[in-house]
Amino acid sequence: MVQVTVDPLTRIEGHYRVNTEVNGEGVITDAQSNGLQLRGFERLLQHQDPRDAALLAQRICGVCPICHSISAANALDQLFGVAGQVPKNALVMRNIEQGFNYIASHAAHIYVLWGPDLANPAYRDILAKYGDVGNAVWKELSGRFAPLIYQLNGTSYPAGSSYVGAIAEFRRLHEAIALIAGKMPHQVLQHVGGVVYSPTVADIGQLVGYLSKTMEFVEAFTLGVSPDTWIANTYKASSPQKAANFVLNHLQELLNKSLTSKDFSHSAGWGDVPLFAAFGSELIGEKLLGLPISMKMDLAGAYKDPNKIGFLSYGAFFKPEKGDGYDPTSPADSRVIPSGYMNGNFKLEKFDYKKISESTRHAFYIDNVEDRPPWNGATVPEGDPGKIDYTKGSASRYSWSKAPNYNGIPCEVGPLARMIIMGEPLVTGLVKTFQDNGYYPVNNYTRMVARMQEILVLYSELMKWLTQDLEAGGKVAVHTELSMAANSAGMGLWEAPRGALGHWIATGPDSMVTLYQAVVPSTWNLAPRNSQDIPSPVEQALIGTKISAAENALGVDYSNPLGILHTARSYDPCLACAVHTIDKTGKHPDYTIKIL
Amino acid sequence: MQHGGSGTDNDGLLEKFKNLDFMKMDRRTFIKAVGALGASLFLQTYKSDIAKALQLSETKVVWLHGVMDSGCTISMLDGGSPDIVEFLRVYNLKLLYHEVLMMQQGIFVDGKLANTSDLNSEILLDGILEKEKGYVLVSEGAVANGPQGSGKYLMLGGRPYKEIYAKAAKNALAIVAIGNCATNSGVNAAKSDIVELMDPRGIAFTMEDSSKGILDLLGIEKPVINLTGCPTHPDWVFLTIGAVVLGKIKIPDDLPYVLDHWKRPKVFFPPDHVIHDNCSRRGYYDRGEFELTVGGPKCLWKLGCKGPYTHADCATRNWNGHLNYCPQAGSPCIGCVQSGFPDSTRPFFVEVEKTGIVGTNINTIAGVAIGGALLAAGAHAVRRTVMKRPEDEGEVAEETTSEETGGEK
Repeated sequence: MVQVTVDPLTRIEGHYRVNTEVNGEGVITDAQSNGLQLRGFERLLQHQDPRDAALLAQRICGVCPICHSISAANALDQLFGVAGQVPKNALVMRNIEQGFNYIASHAAHIYVLWGPDLANPAYRDILAKYGDVGNAVWKELSGRFAPLIYQLNGTSYPAGSSYVGAIAEFRRLHEAIALIAGKMPHQVLQHVGGVVYSPTVADIGQLVGYLSKTMEFVEAFTLGVSPDTWIANTYKASSPQKAANFVLNHLQELLNKSLTSKDFSHSAGWGDVPLFAAFGSELIGEKLLGLPISMKMDLAGAYKDPNKIGFLSYGAFFKPEKGDGYDPTSPADSRVIPSGYMNGNFKLEKFDYKKISESTRHAFYIDNVEDRPPWNGATVPEGDPGKIDYTKGSASRYSWSKAPNYNGIPCEVGPLARMIIMGEPLVTGLVKTFQDNGYYPVNNYTRMVARMQEILVLYSELMKWLTQDLEAGGKVAVHTELSMAANSAGMGLWEAPRGALGHWIATGPDSMVTLYQAVVPSTWNLAPRNSQDIPSPVEQALIGTKISAAENALGVDYSNPLGILHTARSYDPCLACAVHTIDKTGKHPDYTIKIL
Repeated sequence: MQHGGSGTDNDGLLEKFKNLDFMKMDRRTFIKAVGALGASLFLQTYKSDIAKALQLSETKVVWLHGVMDSGCTISMLDGGSPDIVEFLRVYNLKLLYHEVLMMQQGIFVDGKLANTSDLNSEILLDGILEKEKGYVLVSEGAVANGPQGSGKYLMLGGRPYKEIYAKAAKNALAIVAIGNCATNSGVNAAKSDIVELMDPRGIAFTMEDSSKGILDLLGIEKPVINLTGCPTHPDWVFLTIGAVVLGKIKIPDDLPYVLDHWKRPKVFFPPDHVIHDNCSRRGYYDRGEFELTVGGPKCLWKLGCKGPYTHADCATRNWNGHLNYCPQAGSPCIGCVQSGFPDSTRPFFVEVEKTGIVGTNINTIAGVAIGGALLAAGAHAVRRTVMKRPEDEGEVAEETTSEETGGEK
């Protein structure tokens, strides 16, 4: 048994470690997910004016501040008793701001954080076995996805074309956000009762311009076909089967040309998604399209026991058709991306926030209760340096992240969970294709395809919100007074780009905050084990995955553990978010937030 | 976006600076040029000159992340012209280590470092810490000191970040601390029940306390330039590093002249200028027209705007493609560049005069906020009666001398 540790796992937000045990066949047999930093963020909101939370809580995360700001604003809407009156135009503004950030955040993950692993030299050596075609594909992978700091055999190489291009689009999308929200990151749009800015007709035109411009990149680099064509045949397809077939047929046409021309460039129609879709998967690439070789991402990062995993969405993006106000409990039919829980066998259930709890059994917190609902957080961070040890294995305390559960089950959250709960045709069709062919349907490949596809889903919805739903100069806020928050509580359920996000807040008679708690997506995905010792989603995904590239295609190489790198990064880790605490220090009694 | 009447003095300056010889430009003129023109225009104007100047030397940059939310790295990716890739190229910088932008990660097999510096960030980092000298250390994030001085609230590659930071700081030419987490520990050190246990430290300050920076604790003396803000602005970072690389700010000799009390370049954080001075909503203030609910176009002072107390060029430079800034977008300024942020500027939605926080930070309040446009309307007069000038006016007066800030003479 060999111990392979990645510490730090870079190209993520924050500081994170993964430790694994690997057997002689190169298969991971045990894994621990370690959050490495204590931040204690919610504590600084305690005893303070609750209105500050909409601006301060977003500083949990510089990559996805908007979702935190909206979750906080949603919680404040309920706290101040105005959730039912928030003007429709403010809800559309929340959608639009969040929509732009989803696309930016996904682009950053796909191109800057996750993508560079496709330029790992292991793929050069694997693809070289496939002669000219393989070498041509490697040239594309390294030429597109090499990061800013990239060296092979000690020689530095310039950053890839898609990588550099995506940073420009990321910047453009943040500029769009700044137009209506002051600046980015750490925008200033969200406020209790609505938003602080009512857009002009000029703003709306400018936002459409930004989005259209970014879609030119998506067409030229990401998809290789027009986004509208892609959407019409996937997101708007009449069945999951038709959506999956569209992509398969498209890939087959591209291959028919390129296997002879040996041209896999962008200009030959090989967008980054088609290139990944064909060469990333054993099932799609080798079995269905007849390629002799692939990166076999569909065999890594899968869940093997459907009874120990679920998929969760709190629901995001208000339906403008519902008019003013919203229900804070997020019923499935009130959000464009619906709330819902799907079990490991893909059976959909209604979402009930009361089934959420957090376990501290394997985290560095001292608590005599192992599972608590988030609105009754009461844990003390370990203060003894001798007890902060990440090396004691799966039975120990080994992370600053707690372990959230839905009805006792760890859940994957994020684009894949949202897309299958929503029934998005392409992702649903792919999941079914994998199932029908005897593959675990949720894996590193489908996780990444879902994130790519969500960009297109959001583009489609954003255009509707901008052109049909947003009213220039419309009312964007209801008046509030601090006194309205006395002795109250609020819950803000939303979806970060990375998955389900909830903020909970409670106040005392002076309207000051008595308790603030955020349960964030990376806490769900990258937790340690829970109170029943069930491994977290990322731990389950790691166990059974082969340690090195393409199912150890070059033999077992413990020193280049792509199985860990792809799998852990496929969740788009955000550790500043994941590691959080609200606790008692003896100075204040436990507080319980009573929701509704 | 609602555009107000911010000044366009820069048009004349642009013509003036275009005709200057970059190579012969003295420090003060250089500072004036970068401040007035902004990053993009400055680099466009002097691109070929800079390329000439840079043929001689490459400057190495080591970029470390402590306790933070990566917002400043994201803000750097949002830098427009130059973008971060061009910035490195134009100034001939070699970025040796940056956890978000590099291929490598820490890889251990049975507890031992594996592979090479091509893929292993710990081997790369060890090489830097052992061999490199004279690099610019960009510090993003606070340094965890807790619990009990162990630094174990942030571990990387099996060792406390505090240890890594100490080694990196010792061999640096200078430290550029970016964002309030690094400059002052920022939100990490905000008042809370557990802040003493966590004990996160800024580089040269922790909140407004200059005796609690991590460098003091580690016994390391290094020149520090602070670029505050939550996040900080890409222009502030790129142009400051650019000025150091070009020798336009000589380290350490020039620092006493170009930096303010908080070790910030006065060109970006002018002691005699606050956001309020150039606010696009200033006309409403002068007429005494204030918003009491968010969402309207008028002055945000009564909603708690800290623009009159916040020293930064946000209202003239603007953010994200020089497009917008917070009060223009309808939000009160929350003073995120202030060294005591967030404690010295919250509650955000309460007028400063009603919060009692003025007294603790009076030396950061600009006289000009009170003095200007006195004849215009009641608003100024009201504030003059409410606000007391500080006893220690001397320090303010010293900081506001226009000579050192590159203001018009």
